[in-house]
Amino acid sequence: MVIYMKSYKLKIVTPEKIFFDGETEQIKIRTTEGDVGILANHIRYVCNIVAGPLKVKDSNGEREAALSEGILKVSDKGVTVLASTAEWSDEIDLERAEKAKQKAENILSDKSRIDEFERAEIKLKRALARLSVGQRQGQL
Amino acid sequence: MATANIKDVKRRIKSVENTMQITKAMELVATSKLRSAKERAISSQPYFNTLYETMCEIQQDRGFKSIYTKKEFLKTVLVVVLAGDRGLAGGFNHNVLKLAEEKIKSLEQNGCTVTVFPIGKKAVEYFEKRGYEIYSKEYQISENLTMSKALRLSDKIISGFRNGIYDKVELVFTTFVSTLVQNALSITVLPIERNDLKDKEQSKSSSSGNAEKSAKSALTLYEPSAEEVFDGLIPKYISGLLFCSIVDSYAAEQAARRTAMESASDNASEMIDSLSLLYNRARQAQITQELNEIVAGQMGNN
Repeated sequence: MVIYMKSYKLKIVTPEKIFFDGETEQIKIRTTEGDVGILANHIRYVCNIVAGPLKVKDSNGEREAALSEGILKVSDKGVTVLASTAEWSDEIDLERAEKAKQKAENILSDKSRIDEFERAEIKLKRALARLSVGQRQGQL
Repeated sequence: MATANIKDVKRRIKSVENTMQITKAMELVATSKLRSAKERAISSQPYFNTLYETMCEIQQDRGFKSIYTKKEFLKTVLVVVLAGDRGLAGGFNHNVLKLAEEKIKSLEQNGCTVTVFPIGKKAVEYFEKRGYEIYSKEYQISENLTMSKALRLSDKIISGFRNGIYDKVELVFTTFVSTLVQNALSITVLPIERNDLKDKEQSKSSSSGNAEKSAKSALTLYEPSAEEVFDGLIPKYISGLLFCSIVDSYAAEQAARRTAMESASDNASEMIDSLSLLYNRARQAQITQELNEIVAGQMGNN
């Protein structure tokens, strides 16, 4: 038996562009409180998201993207995800992410650069999100 | 007189032509830059609008408070001024810098200590020369500022605010209204003015009914709490605001430059026209004189 799931409107917006605008059945997203899945008719919900993978499922299958920190907002009109950056798994530059990861790790281990700690941490998280999403794409 | 004049006029025509070539080229460059800047400005709108809406909604939550909204006695103010990196853009830099200076003066009259945070080379130069206290000079380039740089910039502003180095942040920038109109304006970034937000929200939702709206938003689930979501939102809001206004100001700069260069080219071609007239007249006068001399010479021989 095929179960048809109800779809809803999803909008993913970054400062540079509207990354995704369309129908989806389910998304999985990483928030500060842990991974969250959103189905249609979800109650109004707002939370902060951290850099991590995002899975968007529709009738054609599942797509994965790497997001940076932002917010998730569920309203009556649909779901809006705001993120600083967003890339589909096939758009990720693994080499660049690897370099960013190493750079961030260097800063984190260097005690003299303590003032850059927070930024480096954010950068490391972004790089890890890209790497994990990108590498999964490579395995498919 | 005539011979020297002809040479002079010719040289002037040449120099005006060269200038016109430059202004024409700058006009074309500004036109193409304006197009991409406008696109960037437009595409950054949805992100910022949604952020803004969400912030308004959170503030309507019951018992909401945050350190970013509290309004105490304001004594120290940081004025962020966005200007261009280059001149030759008509009144663009002048207008925004003048507005900033007026703002600073009126703040100082109210007994505030003002620190300036100039962004863009022209702003840095301007405030440095006039001996204002400058927060940081590292942002000399406002052109092509990326989101990650805007984030770092907002981190800097927010940490200063949180640490109490200043109690208020003002932003002075130029907004792009149309290709012909650019307005310099100043807005308050921090603390976030609650009433302002509410007013705007109300005017926006006036059709759907306010009571219904506030009842609705109170039912929204915030995780872990409205305050934490809000505080997490602030850096994004400020970096988004900065990014938008930088993109906006850049588009305005290009538009101003385009208009300025267009009128410069027009003036140049007008000047060339009148100089050509002068040149032709001088040439004619010279020919007439030469003819006169020949005829006079002939008559003398006869």
